[in-house]
Amino acid sequence: MSELLQIGAQRPKAPEPDSLELRFSPTAVEELEALKTHYPDLKSCVLPTLWIAQREYGGHLSPEAIAEVAHRLSRSYAEVEGVATFYSMYNTAHKPGRHLIEVCTCLSCHMCGAYRIVDHLEEKLGIKLGETTPDGVFSIHEVECLDACDRAPVLQVGDQYVGPVTPETVDELLERLRSNPDSTVVQLADAVVKVHLRDGKA
Amino acid sequence: MVKLTINGIELEAPQGELIVETVKRLGLEIPVFCYHPRMKAVGMCRMCLVETGFKQPDGSVRMMPKPQAGCTLPASEGLVVVTDSEAIHRDRKGVLEFLLINHPLDCPICDRGGECPLQNNTMAYGPSTTRFIEMKRHLPKAFPLSQYVTLDLERCIQCGRCVRFTEEISGDSDLAFRFRGAEMQPSTFQLTDFESRFSGNVIEICPVGALTSAKYRFRARPWDLETSPGVCTECSNGCNVWFDHRAGKQVRINGRANDGVNEEWTCDKGKFGHDWYNSTSRLTKPLVRRGDQFVPASWSEAYEEILAAFADKGGKVAGLTGPRVSNEGLFLFKRLFSEAFGSDNVDHRWRSGPVPTGPVPRPLPIASLESKRHILVFGTHLAEDLPIVHLRVRKAWSQSGATVDVAYSAANEVERFAKASLRCRPGAEAALAKCLLGEAVWSGKATVSDAVRAELAGFNADSAEEKSGVSGATVRAAAARLGEGAVVLTSDRLLDAPEPPSAWKSLKALAEATGSEFVCYPTGTNAAGAELLGLVPDHGLSTWQILEGCKDGKIEALWLVEADPSSTHDAALETVPFLVYQGTLENEAMAYASVVLPMAAPAEQDGTWTNCEGRVQRFRQAIAPPGEAKPAWRVFAECLLRARPSTPFFNPGEVMEEIARVHPVFAPAQYSLLPEEGALVARESLVGEPAGGGG
Repeated sequence: MSELLQIGAQRPKAPEPDSLELRFSPTAVEELEALKTHYPDLKSCVLPTLWIAQREYGGHLSPEAIAEVAHRLSRSYAEVEGVATFYSMYNTAHKPGRHLIEVCTCLSCHMCGAYRIVDHLEEKLGIKLGETTPDGVFSIHEVECLDACDRAPVLQVGDQYVGPVTPETVDELLERLRSNPDSTVVQLADAVVKVHLRDGKA
Repeated sequence: MVKLTINGIELEAPQGELIVETVKRLGLEIPVFCYHPRMKAVGMCRMCLVETGFKQPDGSVRMMPKPQAGCTLPASEGLVVVTDSEAIHRDRKGVLEFLLINHPLDCPICDRGGECPLQNNTMAYGPSTTRFIEMKRHLPKAFPLSQYVTLDLERCIQCGRCVRFTEEISGDSDLAFRFRGAEMQPSTFQLTDFESRFSGNVIEICPVGALTSAKYRFRARPWDLETSPGVCTECSNGCNVWFDHRAGKQVRINGRANDGVNEEWTCDKGKFGHDWYNSTSRLTKPLVRRGDQFVPASWSEAYEEILAAFADKGGKVAGLTGPRVSNEGLFLFKRLFSEAFGSDNVDHRWRSGPVPTGPVPRPLPIASLESKRHILVFGTHLAEDLPIVHLRVRKAWSQSGATVDVAYSAANEVERFAKASLRCRPGAEAALAKCLLGEAVWSGKATVSDAVRAELAGFNADSAEEKSGVSGATVRAAAARLGEGAVVLTSDRLLDAPEPPSAWKSLKALAEATGSEFVCYPTGTNAAGAELLGLVPDHGLSTWQILEGCKDGKIEALWLVEADPSSTHDAALETVPFLVYQGTLENEAMAYASVVLPMAAPAEQDGTWTNCEGRVQRFRQAIAPPGEAKPAWRVFAECLLRARPSTPFFNPGEVMEEIARVHPVFAPAQYSLLPEEGALVARESLVGEPAGGGG
């Protein structure tokens, strides 16, 4: 930042609309057009479009992804970035691994040993909460209540809940996930988009 | 109207009026941070908590168990409000304690210190000591968000005023809140450059020191500043400003409320564009040429040289003025030339094409744009040429539901909210205006004379694509939206386009034929004043004829007042035998001058300026002119007196009385009558119809 303070320093500019590299696939564009008809106002379409972007950009809402969403919905970049960074299920902070394991550490899970599970995951994968393994396969996040206290301690992977878990079942889960080449992060985003396309009906 | 009770005082208020405003009318105060009277209330900061209750049918009052935000509470029948109870004081103290948890309290090194709502409210209502012993949040300090705005995230109390300003007022939505909770920060996309044309306003509305001015940073403490009510003279909008100065130097510009003009906003050109006041290239002494160099001279010597060259030379001398001269200066300049020099060769217009003359309809007050049904912005980059008119047009769209169309040859801000953008090819403005008129005529919406009808042959929506690059459907829809309650708005920039008379005439005919209003705002600071004061040749030479005349020897002496034609007419300045350059700053034209006169800037003299809507506003002297610089009107008055004995003018007020005598439209602008918010003096015409030729 210090170099920006210097007088006459060039501050980075927001990308020009013409210079954006649009990466939505034809399917995604089709889905977006269908979604637009659900709302009276394009502003309302920001959330589902961010899910499409999360899927199209491999599970990560990079600044480029946010810019593309803003461009496609004729909103300002800042506004869409504000929305994306507000919600924790949009991965804006960093690119998650192929599989994102979300550990509920709210009251019930905590009482049932959620932090033992966290410790086990951290030891097993050699990373801390909020980090990604160097091979890019696993990320672990701590999340608030997943509304599945009956299955405490519970994990979320993609659109699936796993629980109650023990260190042993966690090991099995990791093995199973390691052999799964498809990203569960992308799969979750796709599932959410599908729900939106059905207008919220299951 | 509804009856309600505030602190035991019974009063009437319009239904739905927000309680903060009602309380303000009572002369009481509710402290606020996020609430701003010109933006939607959001109730984010909770500073304005009040106790509320309702009168019951039996006359008793039933109070609500919890306090409510006064900024989102509408006045309603039987409402009882208490703003001054022990509970409310406790609540305010609590809210401030929360707001101060993460606030760094670096007031001694904060630019806002001394004029900070957070500081003032904390002194008035807050806790005197803190109970917070934990670590405060740490975030970037002094981040340069743009060349004008510095962002200090630690100081932010997350009131959202800046975010709402870019969303609701300037319309660029360049700022938004990122993240949430305690980490929530106002920011541009990825902290990239904050490029809004109106970014300076967020500095003023920020209730803490989170957004500060990069230019004013650490230059003064507010209590060291003197402030004078002023008028911005950077463009023709005539925004009302506070002119802050210290030890005779301009320090900063803040917006001053005038609902008729700028409400309270300023554009960045005005807010940050006054640096030249303190420039080292300000002229401070009269200079006369002796051979190859200038030598300082007394005003008397300078006048003698000028009069020797100009007096009684008739049509052989000429004068050109720039846009920033006051009404008084312009008037005396014209009089000096006609009475003392016997010349009618004076002009104020700087256009490359033919120049306008003759009357057009009375200009529309800026504020009245809000009540229009539809506005067609034609041939002008509105946000660049007339920033404050742009804000009004946007307000008409956002608050009164007006529709807006824009016809311009490049991308522009009006397109963001326009119903249709008629992006024509550069230079095709005239063709587009004709196509619009043709479409209106052929569709039976408008009737025109047979002569005009004949000219329109072949111009219609279907030929628009080929002739101007705008699709036929767009032209058809845009033409259909004109009519009763619509305005066709342009600026004199339209006259920079090729074929200005044709574009102008077609546009005016389009407005008249469809029953719309037509308004053309001038863009030069005091161009409207110059137009009203007749600073155009009645039968003499116009700008370009004068400059051509200099080249072929018809003009022997030229007087430039803050005008610099050297970029286009270098040869003319070089050839003319005697050149007077009168101005505030050194510039290129000076190189050819025989006499250089230092001129006082607008804030350095008393005077009036006429803005684009024909509003005369007074700017009283705030600071002293540098060195021996004199206001333009005084120089002309002194020359006039030396040339021939007449009644002297001692102050600009007397000049204005004389103006009012000669030009009766200026009668309401006499200093004894002129109200603080200025007076609209426009007569039939501000910018006339372009006459052919002239070049």
